[in-house]
Amino acid sequence: MSAPLRAATVAVGQELPPLVKGPVTKDHLKAYAAASGDPNPMHTDEDFARNAGYKGVFAHGMLSMGWLGQFLVQAGGPGAIRRFRTRFVKLTWPGETITCRGRVTAVRDEGGVRVADCEIWTENEEGERKLVGTAVLALS
Amino acid sequence: MPSKDMIGRVLSTGSATVSAEHVAAFARALGDENPLYLDPAAARRGPFGTIVAPPTYPIAFMVEALSGGASAFSELGLNFMTLIHGEQEFEYERPIRAGETLTLTGRISDVYEKHGSSGTMDFVVLETEATDAEGKRVFFSRNTLISRRL
Repeated sequence: MSAPLRAATVAVGQELPPLVKGPVTKDHLKAYAAASGDPNPMHTDEDFARNAGYKGVFAHGMLSMGWLGQFLVQAGGPGAIRRFRTRFVKLTWPGETITCRGRVTAVRDEGGVRVADCEIWTENEEGERKLVGTAVLALS
Repeated sequence: MPSKDMIGRVLSTGSATVSAEHVAAFARALGDENPLYLDPAAARRGPFGTIVAPPTYPIAFMVEALSGGASAFSELGLNFMTLIHGEQEFEYERPIRAGETLTLTGRISDVYEKHGSSGTMDFVVLETEATDAEGKRVFFSRNTLISRRL
């Protein structure tokens, strides 16, 4: 079982504790649209999404990035994230169960604080990566 | 189409006060039940002494605070029918606290295009900086938007 990262013990290659979210529902997308103020009907209106050439509505990229944020707080503690970046590579669809994963790629000191560089991503049940990115966590 | 002349231009500015209710609604929409976001009593006993926001909350706060941004946004020249969010990056100096007022400045940091098999893709990079009442930076956001030119 992978444990949260600690300054004293963090090591390159260490896995961050995974976080499983979903299965994604259309109600999740409606709730996220309302709370985030994102008016794009692509995520809430089936007809609109089909007319735009998709098989249906799909999740906001920022919903998945929000899950990665939760995953990083779980791994490093509240306030640990210094930088956090993702690319939106593949779409996330209703019905998919998404797992947030990551591992430590470097450990160094930044301004007198031990930090861990991490590669992070979300993936579905088949291991298809949806969001890929990096994060810098300041550890205590 | 977006123009390189827009690089460096301030797109919009604004300020807003972080509402604990909005933070809680945002956290719940992520399915993130961390008491630091939801429970004032637990947050008071926690490391920040008050309710704080989840890491990606700035994206929702920017919608609130940059209210003049919608019209400016339409001036970018992106094709909204094919608009996608390509990349997102945040830098944090400290967590955002409920009840504080932040001032945001959004500017266009880059405009470029790429040519591929599906045509010309326009890229616009927006950078938004948030400062607190003392003028200190709280967070920074870099948002890469992509649209296919029709």
